Amino acid sequence: MPVSLNYLVRRVGWSIATIAGVVILSYLVLVLSPGDPAVKWAGNPRGPGAAKAIENARKELGLDQPLYLQVLNFLRMAFTGDLGISIAYKKPVSEILWRGLAATLELLALAYAIAIPLGAFIGVMASLRRGTWLDGFIQSASLVLANTPTFWLGIAIFMVLSTSGVTAYGRVDTRLALATGFRSITGLYLLDALVQLNFPVFLDVLARTFPPALAVAAYPVGVCARVTRALMADALLEGFVQSAVAWGVSRRAVVWRYAFRATLAGLVQVSGLAFAYSLVDAMVVEYVFGRDGLGRFLFDSVNTSDFRLATGLIIVVALFYVLANTLADIVQALVDPRVKL
Amino acid sequence: MRKGPLLAAIGAVAAISIALLLYIWYLQPTQRAPALKVVVYSYLDVITGIDPSIEDDTGIVVLGSVYEPLLYYDPVRGEHIPALAESWESNEDGTVWTFRLRRGVIFHDGTPFTAEAVKLSIERARDIYRETGRGSGYIWDSVEEIEIVDDYTVRFKLAYPQRVDMLASAIYAGYIFSPSALEKAGVEDPLDPNLERWFNAGNEAGSGPYLIEFYSPESEVRLRKFEKWWGWTVVNNPDAPDVVIIRIRTDPLDQYNGLLAGEIDIASSVPRANLGDLKARGFQIINVSVFHNYILQLNCRRYPTNVTAFRLAVMHAIPWGELVDVALQGFGRLGAGVLPYNFPGYDGNLRYTYDLDLARKYLEKSGVKLPVKVEFVYQADYEENAAFAQLLKSRLADLGIDVELKPMAWTAVKEAGKEVWSSPENAPHLIINDWWPTLPSPYDYLYGLFHSESTEWNWAGYSNPVFDELISAAYEAEGRDYGEAMRLYRLAQKMVYEEGAGISLWEEIRPFVVSSRVEVPEKALNPLYIYVIFFQHVKVRG
Repeated sequence: MPVSLNYLVRRVGWSIATIAGVVILSYLVLVLSPGDPAVKWAGNPRGPGAAKAIENARKELGLDQPLYLQVLNFLRMAFTGDLGISIAYKKPVSEILWRGLAATLELLALAYAIAIPLGAFIGVMASLRRGTWLDGFIQSASLVLANTPTFWLGIAIFMVLSTSGVTAYGRVDTRLALATGFRSITGLYLLDALVQLNFPVFLDVLARTFPPALAVAAYPVGVCARVTRALMADALLEGFVQSAVAWGVSRRAVVWRYAFRATLAGLVQVSGLAFAYSLVDAMVVEYVFGRDGLGRFLFDSVNTSDFRLATGLIIVVALFYVLANTLADIVQALVDPRVKL
Repeated sequence: MRKGPLLAAIGAVAAISIALLLYIWYLQPTQRAPALKVVVYSYLDVITGIDPSIEDDTGIVVLGSVYEPLLYYDPVRGEHIPALAESWESNEDGTVWTFRLRRGVIFHDGTPFTAEAVKLSIERARDIYRETGRGSGYIWDSVEEIEIVDDYTVRFKLAYPQRVDMLASAIYAGYIFSPSALEKAGVEDPLDPNLERWFNAGNEAGSGPYLIEFYSPESEVRLRKFEKWWGWTVVNNPDAPDVVIIRIRTDPLDQYNGLLAGEIDIASSVPRANLGDLKARGFQIINVSVFHNYILQLNCRRYPTNVTAFRLAVMHAIPWGELVDVALQGFGRLGAGVLPYNFPGYDGNLRYTYDLDLARKYLEKSGVKLPVKVEFVYQADYEENAAFAQLLKSRLADLGIDVELKPMAWTAVKEAGKEVWSSPENAPHLIINDWWPTLPSPYDYLYGLFHSESTEWNWAGYSNPVFDELISAAYEAEGRDYGEAMRLYRLAQKMVYEEGAGISLWEEIRPFVVSSRVEVPEKALNPLYIYVIFFQHVKVRG
């Protein structure tokens, strides 16, 4: 077994410590920043009893307690999975988090469905034509892609599509969804449409998710292409690949079954890290494209002093990082017998 | 095995599948359901709650279509519009009011509307306020008893004279809900917090023209036409929307993009710079004067704005003639006094002049040594505030007053403003407050913004017992002598004006942008019920 129990225990321990650190830090930053959450919780009262209402709200939210008790209480809430009721929306934070997460994940998943195969393919092509103009072009293009600010790319794609009359705004055509009786079940519209066999909505959602997914995919395409090229260049010089060539194995098999397979472990590792990084990109891009998701909810929650929702969103992002990294390590160990965890 | 035939087969299956999907895509929507009349209204703020007795903030955009009060008030014509009450009368001294209710009204859950619902709804709003200070139930403070005379008659007995017809048409705290809500929420006591949770979970018990079908206050609220609404025969609008979607779009640019994409039909808050472009593309711009005004308040408890002559110097250094054009790009009306234009008690004479010589005289009289620095706090995401701030900074610099601009998020502005009471030296010298009324009475504005007990919103720190006494007397006079009450309110405003504690800078003219698919007639927008669109009057074309 490439993954030891010792590794898992250590990893879980570090993950818990990381999440706890994030909770404490984000809680302190949000609660101590200007703006009184109690005002929002009390409903912005304006009558003669406004001060009383706000004072009551402060007690209900536990904001009248010493800061260390507030932090401890919030930590307990976070680790029991109950972040309470959103201050701005008066709905359970978990419900809002899931809606946002589903929307963002859908975008991210499509972006990576595009990015990984494309990045790997052009990386392999470049490695096979090292030193040619194509290799130079691919290297330069992937460098540009990996370093282009995603929000800028998102705005550029959105503007180009808008001016050419292509609709890329929002997640689904409202009228189409209503006319076809589409219902959101999981919050993942592509999946929901498939489950309901609602192909018009499926295609519409796909068409609207594709442009922002392209913007999000730019960074991982660039990274994967560069990493694949470098790993492939090494792999092609390995003894087992040279032997396969000497044995007369076809060129395609040598490239894809032998050399490329040897790059998979490194590719998975880098993709995992990039995946977590791209979550933030997706949050920015969805805002540009008028899509609901973690990005917009985070922006609105900070603006409304909704520290419960904002902290919840930050926890989700942190959790995502931790999980993506851990999974990348485990998958790397599973695909590469040389790696032991 | 040869791969050619296999690949060909896979290709053929893929091609057929795509063709089938496209066929379904184009044909299925029209075959599945008749075309619905849909209107998407994008609103700039998140929905903070939909409890009809407690909510006194942005939930109004939903409540206004789902619930009904006894009466509406048209401030432009100065008349009431019957809603759940058909007629009403009071005794001579305004302490007993009798309302005869509309028959044949049913709530969305099928429960008939009777006097019991009126008593329950209004008492709940009043009592929650008395117990917790929450909501706008304070407007019912004078109500001692609500007597159910019969199923369709209620009598309000008051502790002191009041205009209950005005209270009944308030923006908040006047909505009537079905008594069946208690059973559905599993509570017996109307004040049980579980009833509030039940409402805020997306449930409702209204009688209005639309019912809530989907409630997600962070992104979208979907309303469905209530076919059994009593008013459909009255409004006679066969083109009224079947479905209304209130879409939360907190970024004005996002609203603009949504309009261009055809995903938004009515937008409340598009950047003003984009209005010309939208007009050129065939969108209609409806300019609505709303009772939402912006009040400049000066800190009366911190040097140098605690010196009356200094405050008046500042007031006379504001280029009033340029204000609307520079700050609002023409979408506004110059303010006067404290109250907005057309609002009861408005006094258009309470305006300062832009006169730098006079300002210098006031400065000299104030004894404040120049140069002096003052802080100015305003809400950062209101583009008009930022434009005004720059204008003010440049003009006060001419007098030797250095203005430090402090743009902040709204929650931070409020916190800074109310510090005038707890720590005046840390509160800004100048601040912009904005206000829209809960009920059509000047008391709402004058108490909230300048009464010495209103420590949450009186950001001037203005404390004047004579002013307090005057507006209280005016409020009580409303029920017996409305004209006298308005005179007293004008006197109170003059007091604030002469002391330079605050002034209404401008009143907003809100440009609603409407797509060609939709027609929004005048009666669908009432300046008193800010941001509420009465969708029963809206027409969907095609």
